[in-house]
Amino acid sequence: MAGAGRDERALVRAAQAGSVADLEALFRDHWGRSYRAAYLVVHDAAAAEDVAQEAFLAAVRNLDRFDAGRPFGPWLHRIVVNRAIDWSRARALRREVGAGETIEAAAAPESGAPAAPLSDDVVAALATLSPDHRAVIVLRYVLEYSPGEIARMLEVPRGTVNSRLRRGLDALQGLVDVEEPQ
Amino acid sequence: MSPRDVRSALLSAPVPDELEAQRRTWGVVKTAYAEREPVRRPRRLRLLVALAVLATLVAAALSPPGRAVGDWLRDRVAGEEETQPALVRLPAAGQLLVVSGEGPWLVRPDGSKRRLGDYEDASFSPSARFVVATRGRRVVALEPDGDPRWSVTQPDPVADARWAPSPGFRVAYRAGNTLRVVAGDGTGDRLLAENVAEVAPAWQPLEGRTVLAYADAAGRVHVADSEGEERWSAEPGAPPAKLIWSSDGRFLLVVTTGVRHLFYGQGGRPAGILRTPPAHSVLDAEFEPGIRRVAYSAFDGERGIVVLGEERLQRVEGRISDLAFSPDGRWLLAGWPEADQFLFLRLPGVQRIVAVDDVRREFDPGSPGIGEFPQISGWCCSP
Repeated sequence: MAGAGRDERALVRAAQAGSVADLEALFRDHWGRSYRAAYLVVHDAAAAEDVAQEAFLAAVRNLDRFDAGRPFGPWLHRIVVNRAIDWSRARALRREVGAGETIEAAAAPESGAPAAPLSDDVVAALATLSPDHRAVIVLRYVLEYSPGEIARMLEVPRGTVNSRLRRGLDALQGLVDVEEPQ
Repeated sequence: MSPRDVRSALLSAPVPDELEAQRRTWGVVKTAYAEREPVRRPRRLRLLVALAVLATLVAAALSPPGRAVGDWLRDRVAGEEETQPALVRLPAAGQLLVVSGEGPWLVRPDGSKRRLGDYEDASFSPSARFVVATRGRRVVALEPDGDPRWSVTQPDPVADARWAPSPGFRVAYRAGNTLRVVAGDGTGDRLLAENVAEVAPAWQPLEGRTVLAYADAAGRVHVADSEGEERWSAEPGAPPAKLIWSSDGRFLLVVTTGVRHLFYGQGGRPAGILRTPPAHSVLDAEFEPGIRRVAYSAFDGERGIVVLGEERLQRVEGRISDLAFSPDGRWLLAGWPEADQFLFLRLPGVQRIVAVDDVRREFDPGSPGIGEFPQISGWCCSP
């Protein structure tokens, strides 16, 4: 997983000591992937911003007790993805179906329509999965965690991660070759 | 299309509004950083904090408007605080049973720990002579060194095994959507009830009695003996999440997933409502040993509180996941996942706090410490 290293530890220590510049460097290092991960789970730009923002705020609130010897990324990403799952579940409970309809339409273009870029197809197909399955796919393929790391981050058994990966990739069948989870 | 293509597609997909969102968020984060007010600080600052708190307390005591300041401080830094980098000893007698992703661990008063095996859930027998654990489809009674004494295997996944009070003639557990009972020596396994909820059964803590409470899938609470004969049942109005008896066995507290948490007396007579702050979910609750007073942890979506009776003992960022009283009732242990800490609160009030750091790694040695936060299963009497 990228992002963890001596430089990052130095940034965390400096931010703990009160350096705004180092906090900003840490923020810039992690914003892109965190926002992308949130967006790919929630599929709503405003919600992704809220989720990522809440995660960074939680990180700032807890910065003083963070062990600078540990990698910062997994700590932050765990918050991002869990909040994104919570948001998606809450939206499902509120029966907000508009986004789903749009995504479904994008996932099945009419015959003769111009082909969407591959990334659009994959994102649209991803949106048809449940939040739990989306989260596992995002953690594995965007944030590049191993199934064991994902299990710890989501606080679920490793077998559950493997099965979600398998089912998630099965559901993307037609777009994605199935990879056996490690 | 290969998994590499999936990765590449997900990393190259356009994400709307990324730079604007980054600019807005950095403004918010920068402001929060400038205004941050850590709840707990690194150890090197403890002395300075203690001096600052002392000075503030003196100022608060000397000024009439200081009462409000004093109340605020009490929530935050009540008690003399001590931090342990590891669980080097328990502050009171008894053994602690903690269940991490690695399995159940028995912690002795001197802090020595033993992992009992690869199980998903565990609880003490009366007097802590055994531990009953579950994994997959097996219920296993374990010696304190982890050696299995007996086991029962079911066709469905099992969970929530609970041993009846002294002399411990029965063990109840869930198997699939049923509740079953087996004798304390592993014999005579039988069905007790069907269509039960995913809630641990709770034995009435009266010596020699084998009466237990359980919840059904429709959200009703039943109290029955180990032969299945129902004593009473009640409808708490929301799905039960936890069933807790007072130590004298006279009251049953039903913590629900809703906002009302009800006490029932003998015969199922409604005996009151647990008073909790508005907009807080109750995450755990325990009766104080020997006293009909309840400690509970609650969460408002941002901060967690620990309340004993009418008194708020602690307020923290994040949740307090589990509570457990020491056997003598003088300490209350609280699990604080966001800080990766166990907090031992010395009662009454909070005279002292012992905060144990790095709990995830404590119960998952060699891990990066970002996994599942351990669950406090019980703090029980010495064998």
